[in-house]
Amino acid sequence: MISVQNLKKQYKEAVVLDVESLEIPKSECFGLVGNNGAGKTTLFRIMLDLVRASSGEVFIDGQNVSKTEDWKARVGAYLDEHMLLSYLTPDEYFETLRKIYRLSEEDLKLHLENFKDLFNDEILGKKKYIRDLSKGNLKKVGIAAALMGNPEVILLDEPFENLDPSSQIRLKKLILREKERSQITFLISSHDLNHVTDICDRIVLLEKGKVIKDLKEKELMMSELDSYFTG
Amino acid sequence: MVLQFIKLEILKSMRSTAFAKSALVAIFLAFLAVVLLSYVFLLGLVLKQVIEKGFESTDAYATLSGVLIYFFLFEFMYRYFVQKLPVIELERFLHLPIKKSTIIHFLLGRSFVSPMTLIAPLLFVPFAIQEVVPRFGTSAAWSWILCIMLTSWSLHWLMLWFKQKFEDSVTGIGVVFLILLLGAGSNYLGWFNLGDIMKPVFDWSLTSFIPVLVMFLVFLGLHRLAYTYYYNNAYLEDLTQDEDVRFVNQEFGIFNRFGLAGELANLEWKLIIRHKKSRTYLMLAGFFLLYGLIFYANPQYSTEEGFSHMFVFVGSFITGIFMLQYGQLFLSWNSANFDFFLQKRDGVEGLIKGKYLLFIATSCLCFLLSVPYVFFGWDILLIHIATFLFNMGVIMHMVIYLSLWKPKPMDLNKGAMFNYEGVGIAQFLMIIPMFLAPYVVYLPFALLVNQYVGLLALGIIGIAGILAFPYLSNLPVQRVLNNRYEISSSFRQEL
Repeated sequence: MISVQNLKKQYKEAVVLDVESLEIPKSECFGLVGNNGAGKTTLFRIMLDLVRASSGEVFIDGQNVSKTEDWKARVGAYLDEHMLLSYLTPDEYFETLRKIYRLSEEDLKLHLENFKDLFNDEILGKKKYIRDLSKGNLKKVGIAAALMGNPEVILLDEPFENLDPSSQIRLKKLILREKERSQITFLISSHDLNHVTDICDRIVLLEKGKVIKDLKEKELMMSELDSYFTG
Repeated sequence: MVLQFIKLEILKSMRSTAFAKSALVAIFLAFLAVVLLSYVFLLGLVLKQVIEKGFESTDAYATLSGVLIYFFLFEFMYRYFVQKLPVIELERFLHLPIKKSTIIHFLLGRSFVSPMTLIAPLLFVPFAIQEVVPRFGTSAAWSWILCIMLTSWSLHWLMLWFKQKFEDSVTGIGVVFLILLLGAGSNYLGWFNLGDIMKPVFDWSLTSFIPVLVMFLVFLGLHRLAYTYYYNNAYLEDLTQDEDVRFVNQEFGIFNRFGLAGELANLEWKLIIRHKKSRTYLMLAGFFLLYGLIFYANPQYSTEEGFSHMFVFVGSFITGIFMLQYGQLFLSWNSANFDFFLQKRDGVEGLIKGKYLLFIATSCLCFLLSVPYVFFGWDILLIHIATFLFNMGVIMHMVIYLSLWKPKPMDLNKGAMFNYEGVGIAQFLMIIPMFLAPYVVYLPFALLVNQYVGLLALGIIGIAGILAFPYLSNLPVQRVLNNRYEISSSFRQEL
């Protein structure tokens, strides 16, 4: 599904990302962990063609992301507030996305139905602009938006950050459910090792831009990560 | 503590990305301030002669005192539009263990250090020396000038309070409108002469120090008012007002026919309505529709045959003002959510085509609203049609293409007056070709053949541009796509 080859990102002398090769098959739940500055967000941004790679390529479904645009219809993402239209209310925002993705009103209703628990009655039907929402609610809106339009790949940057404990658990359930149901490939970066090992089939550990661990054994993940982070 | 504040303040302006990247803009603004202030000072130097010659008055002092109140009404107006509120800085300090009163005193004090504080002294001190000192004596002059300065400075505090409390509200606009009406209406419509009513107050200051004392107390009182208001409202929730969502839900129905671009044009319209800066631009466009009155009604520009060449400029301005102003900051308006468009398929294309739609719609609206100018002659209508077509076919593409030269991020929630965030040297320079372009086409024909052929040329080239729309409108799309990494990273303030 996603293939990264000889990817390198350099700001002048400093190399912030250096990934030789990374293959993410369809319907895998791919976790990305690493300390601050390891290059997680940069990797996601390059995958989404928001940042230019110094060298190397990213392919989604065989398409080079920097050369075509068709893959965008199949990829949903929420990295930060820049991806929201903060001057709309959540309802207007979803409505706008509905039109962009050409969904029917019924589709949108069904989609938002999935988020009923997560939204906890704090998002929809409120006369409040997105820019005035709390950070946790902002994240919920972004995640719900990323999952719209039946994407095949979803990139989420720190989805658990700023969420309250019950929302974290609900989000986890939601991701697992979507994964079961529609074979979506999830790419999730997180600092929360418990959550990410819970839901992901594979975890890649970045350090200073390099892949230093690629863990696929569910049982060993936690102990390996633990030993790395306690260092 | 105050020294520390001042140091932070200087560091802030030195290190702000806006300054580093557009030092030229900063220099230009400083230069502009100096030029404007020196004009004010020059006017002050010749004020006596101007009054004596211009108003054919033998008693310059009496005439001036009679109109002083209008000066203050005018000052109220420009302060309302130009003066900035210092509250934005508040958030950064509120949580620190610094006394609230210290912070507020500092913010208020800092707001006082502004070119506007100097306008009244620069304008009236020379007059006081030339006119009041010889006729009424030194102490009278002191008393008079102090009285004027204190009035002007009292307005400063009044405005800080007034703007924070009423800005963007119906009451605020109502009061400003009332003052405008009071100023213009009282004399012009002959209801009552405000100047004469207020004159004795200023005359009194020549013979007595009591008015100075009174004004000083007013000055202190208004400072206190501003201070107390800011002190009591120094909470984050009070600094940002909730807006009424219902009011801003109108959409342009026609846009729905244009697919993705139309959808994004509607979004852009919401963006305009819901942000302070863009709302001001919209209001200005409304005001500039009246711009024609200054020129078309002015006998100075009426000619025996045809019309003044100047009118072509006025016409292109009136029919395209919103596009010119708003388009100048083309992508910067979306700087906070550019990634949203990048991440959608054809998002960038939709965004730009949507803006095109919006520009076309607003220009059509401006054109239609300007039709009543036909009252000043059929020529005017012809000019407007020609410049409108030229705007649509040529200027629009120029604005958009030029504005894509190094777009900068900006905060849409700040006011628009003297706010040059997002404006780089490119945005300044692009104004020149905007103004020259119509004349490049029009003048050769107008001078060699006749003016109407010049207009015809404008119209024909405009129509040619409109026919080439599909091709021309793709150029900016390609340009943004080619520069997408640079634009999106500068909008994320990474550079």
